Amino acid sequence: MNYQSQRVAYPYFVVALLLFVAQVLLGLFLAFSYFFTLPQGFVDVFPFSTARAIHTNLLVLWLLLGFMGATYYMVPEETGRELASPKLAIAQLVVLTGTGVVAIVGFLFGWTQGRPLLEIPRPLDLLVVAGALMFLGNVGATMLLARRFTVTQGSLLAGLVFLAVLYLFGIPFYRNLATDWYYWWWVIHLWVEGAWELVTAALVAFMLIHLTGVERRVVEKWLYVELGLFLFTGIAGTGHHYYWLGTPRYWLWVGGVFSALEPLPILLMLWDTFRAEREGGRKLEPRLTWTLLIGMAVLHFVGAGLFGLAHTLPQINYYTHGSQVTVSHGHLAFYGAYVLVNLTFFYFAIPRLRALPGGRFRERRGQVGFWAASFGLVGMSLAFSVAGVLQSYLERMRGEPYIVSQEPIRFWMLLVFLHGLLVLAGAAIIAWDLLTLRSPPDEAARGAAPAA
Amino acid sequence: MTEGQSKVVFWVGTLTSAALFLALTVDTHREFDRLTNADALDEQVVAGKRAFEARNCNDCHTILGFGGYYAPDLTRAHARIGEEGIRRRLAHPEQVFRASYRKMPQQRLSAAELDGMVRFLRWVDGIENNDWPPQDSERAWKRSTERLLAGGLLSPGAALLKQESCLQCHALGAEGERIGPRLEWIGGRRDAAYVAEFLEDPQRQQPGTTMPAYGHLSKGQRQMIGELVVSLAARGRVP
Repeated sequence: MNYQSQRVAYPYFVVALLLFVAQVLLGLFLAFSYFFTLPQGFVDVFPFSTARAIHTNLLVLWLLLGFMGATYYMVPEETGRELASPKLAIAQLVVLTGTGVVAIVGFLFGWTQGRPLLEIPRPLDLLVVAGALMFLGNVGATMLLARRFTVTQGSLLAGLVFLAVLYLFGIPFYRNLATDWYYWWWVIHLWVEGAWELVTAALVAFMLIHLTGVERRVVEKWLYVELGLFLFTGIAGTGHHYYWLGTPRYWLWVGGVFSALEPLPILLMLWDTFRAEREGGRKLEPRLTWTLLIGMAVLHFVGAGLFGLAHTLPQINYYTHGSQVTVSHGHLAFYGAYVLVNLTFFYFAIPRLRALPGGRFRERRGQVGFWAASFGLVGMSLAFSVAGVLQSYLERMRGEPYIVSQEPIRFWMLLVFLHGLLVLAGAAIIAWDLLTLRSPPDEAARGAAPAA
Repeated sequence: MTEGQSKVVFWVGTLTSAALFLALTVDTHREFDRLTNADALDEQVVAGKRAFEARNCNDCHTILGFGGYYAPDLTRAHARIGEEGIRRRLAHPEQVFRASYRKMPQQRLSAAELDGMVRFLRWVDGIENNDWPPQDSERAWKRSTERLLAGGLLSPGAALLKQESCLQCHALGAEGERIGPRLEWIGGRRDAAYVAEFLEDPQRQQPGTTMPAYGHLSKGQRQMIGELVVSLAARGRVP
């Protein structure tokens, strides 16, 4: 840490981690509801829909708070100056966290916009927009005052502006359900496969530059290519959500072709990470950051790239659309692409914020947490895919009623639940570890020696 | 690759994709009205959509394949379970799903909301969405009708009798209703040609009859029904 104002990142990380654990807890309840029969009286008070709304909104909120914290950490170093206003950054955290808490309590009482992932009621949307403007104003002002622009920073800012603008398309009430879904995807898809990719690519590039010592020029050159491919495949790739909602037939072609290319940029990102590790010529410390970075690149490729590709072609998607296959892809993709990016950045930034010598720390707990969460997640996704394939076959191909096709799925949902326990354990260990990071014993001893 | 080339990749990739996407968005808007029957999209349908969103139905049910995965997709709910089926599930989930291992919460809908929801689901059912979902595929059930009719070539008249739902008014053996005369009794008094002509416009021969006209059937088809009806005749027992 070289700038005082980078400290504002820390409270963002803390809130994000707590929400992460809460999100996993809600997820466990959801899996549980698939396996066990809950009594009518319970369902009337706390339906699955409410729990799911909380689960997904917490996911979005904590990932965004993580991104924002990471941005506040990164911008001073990239621009070479303090943040324009650290106080505004804290106020923004209060606004956004407050909005999140009010929204979640509101869900419990049935206050909802009622569209999956966009359940936050419209009045609160305005607060979200206010929070986003505070954020962009603060970051933008810092960059302008510094008069120093880098590609990494540009990608970050472009991603964040793109993200904020797209959110606006989710606010209006659409009379026509087809139009509604059409723009719903501008938020959901263009966020995760456009704006968020810009943000994470920037965060990864930043970490690669700092960790490997590879020349900034080289990293940024590949950043351009990656981003170009992400946006080329991702923007028109939105078409794979438009197959079955009442749009013209050409979307089958556009969606099919562009999404078939979607794994390419991720593959490049994967290769880029390995290349940076090889060419850096530096002993890569701490190892955990590397485990996380490579875990992220691999699971991002498998979850988002391969699992996505497996069912985005229209011929397959006709049968798998809106089944547990989608759920399987969604979980692994989010974990690989965004959860791990956040966790990696936390492990990168927190030791520096704590001024641990060399940015090093005791890594054992973090390793245990990472492997527990990752094994749990991969297991969960596999159980979801078996459930999804069963559902597609029974319901979509054999034409069995929905509820008949759900019967054999219950067992696989029990497996999801059990793997979910592992994810919860991993998440809790990581959160606890990050909040109590200490220097490794040798480092601590060296630090203590002169005093003795 | 030089830095300049990588910049070209970025700008060309991003801009072509965005241009294509935006152009298709404009065109899609031109098609939406036709594909979604926008003329049937009235205030009641919109009220139904609002009720659907106010209850957060979409976080358990999928519709057009989007949403929660905890409960059935509602895209073709109207075709599948009909208006009454929708009403019963919305009004009394605790009864309908009493024996089910998955429950639906009581939604406490007003009568207007209930009507709106039915209208909304009926409108959604009409969206032309490339024949999705497959289990409710219109193409698939049309194919099965064709198969039925092909089988009906063995007795084309019987197939037509079934297709035209004649047994909703006429009885045949132990089947059907007794609004019109028993089919077995007709052939005792009439020949096939008479029946065929009668079907085209019943009012011509029997003014005031409640029998609907079957003028949409071809002459040959009407003749086949006539022949079947005559062959069914219970000879020697004319009332």
